[in-house]
Amino acid sequence: MRAWPILVLALAFSIVIAACAGHDWATPADLLRAIAGAAADLRSRLLVEWRIPRVLAAALVGALLGLGGTVFQGVFRNPLAEPYLLGSAGGAALGATVALLVPLAAPQSFILPVLAFAGAWGATMLVIGISRVSGAVDAAGMLLAGVAVAAILGALRSFLMLALSDETVSLQIVLSWVLGGVQTPSWPVLGLLAVISAACLALTMRLAGRLDLLGLGETMAIAFGLNVNRFVALAVLAGSVVVAAAVAFGGLVAFVGLASPHIARWLVGPLHRPLLPASALVGAIVVTLADAIARAALPPAEIPLGLVTAVAGGPFFILLLARRLRT
Amino acid sequence: MTAIAADKLVVRRNGALLLDGLSLSLGPTGSVAVIGPNGAGKSTLLKVLAGIDKPTSGTVRIGDRDLASFSNAARAATLGYLPQYFDPHWDLTVAELVRLGAERSHRATAGAIEQATEHFELTTLGQRRWSTLSGGERARVLLATVLVVDPPVLLADEPAASLDIRHRLDVIRTLTRRGGDRLSVVVVHDLDLAFTFFERVIVVDRGRIVADGPAKNLIEDRRIDAAFAVDFDRLKTPDGWLLRAAPHGS
Repeated sequence: MRAWPILVLALAFSIVIAACAGHDWATPADLLRAIAGAAADLRSRLLVEWRIPRVLAAALVGALLGLGGTVFQGVFRNPLAEPYLLGSAGGAALGATVALLVPLAAPQSFILPVLAFAGAWGATMLVIGISRVSGAVDAAGMLLAGVAVAAILGALRSFLMLALSDETVSLQIVLSWVLGGVQTPSWPVLGLLAVISAACLALTMRLAGRLDLLGLGETMAIAFGLNVNRFVALAVLAGSVVVAAAVAFGGLVAFVGLASPHIARWLVGPLHRPLLPASALVGAIVVTLADAIARAALPPAEIPLGLVTAVAGGPFFILLLARRLRT
Repeated sequence: MTAIAADKLVVRRNGALLLDGLSLSLGPTGSVAVIGPNGAGKSTLLKVLAGIDKPTSGTVRIGDRDLASFSNAARAATLGYLPQYFDPHWDLTVAELVRLGAERSHRATAGAIEQATEHFELTTLGQRRWSTLSGGERARVLLATVLVVDPPVLLADEPAASLDIRHRLDVIRTLTRRGGDRLSVVVVHDLDLAFTFFERVIVVDRGRIVADGPAKNLIEDRRIDAAFAVDFDRLKTPDGWLLRAAPHGS
């Protein structure tokens, strides 16, 4: 397995590059000095308190997106499946929009992840429910139900943004969040994100063997002892937990959940036990670099991260689609 | 002792009656061919016996237990099922497929994987991906994947239908040889193969069993002609039978 050292080194390299990149470029030596606490100047403090946590948060959000995409592609046995096509990301976005725009008693840093999860879970259950009622619990039925639910949730979110934002609650905040972007976390919040990411990895790894069985096709999966309907419901739930965590910390970042499993499959093959961690690493690398571009490309402005990944990922998606249609 | 006893199986799907009160009993060993025209209910019968599809009514007993009371794992380890078509969604390697098959039973050890790999001549194919295999190689991989846990019952749905004649014979021989000390039930399209290689033949038509018996007795049975709606010429060859079909009444 030559792929693992390459992936780990590439991630480390991406993190260093991203930590150097910004309006004000730093050198690796500056980073070392800042981390060691040798220099007490403002620039070092900014690096340690702003840029480095932001870079690490981007890596973790990317890892979550890679995991979520892998679970959804495994469940739907469709390499074009993506959280954004299945309503779960749209649900998370609606929940987060409510948290950002509706004045609530609880602090926003707490209410936003909770509502994002509730939205992702609710939207996914809605999708499963619709496909159950219409008798199409297969991949195509769920994907179409997901597209419809995503469209409805998107419309609701736009309505909320138009109706609730005024001069006191800036539309800018919501918009930048919807367009995707990792907020700079405090170190304790970053720690929380790390714990959540590790838990998501552990949770999805428990599904790995059964995702492999499902990949043999439903008939063979049942013949090999899998309770397909129950497992699909369980895996979709786990996938929406992962997506909700990613959306809560990174907004709507498109195409990473689609592309990461693909790239990881080229590197480690399609079995899910190696694929899940590999896909998390690829997602981390992709979002770390995309976030660096978002911060450094047009100083002093910042491009929304979701736009960077969409511009890079859109052609990737079209390429995959074209290749699939040809075969 | 009976290995499988099916009692008054009825399967209705979207208003169509696929199995119409079919009852059947199979011993713990033997090679059994299931034949019948298209749409007779052969595949449905096999899936119900394998516990993959649930019957609308009726029961399947495996040994002295109701199949519905089996855990998924126990069912998967007891009843091997070879599907008519198999096309995995991900392009796995031969070794990965056989290992997935083995993981459904804790009886299957590394030794069993190695043995199945050798038995089906897959030793040199281990790292090859499914998409690169020929039809004959795919059939051997599928056999190894299903048989690696050595299930006492094998239910095979025409696994060789699309192969050339040499590979079809290889697969049919593998399945009938298993009938020596296990139960091997195979849906067969090729009637010559059914009557030449199998001990017992069951004729299914319109969701019912219309004829059932030892192959050598059943070959003369005119109910076979009725089920397929043709007239057969039965030609005895030194080592088996040749059935030549002519349209009814010609």
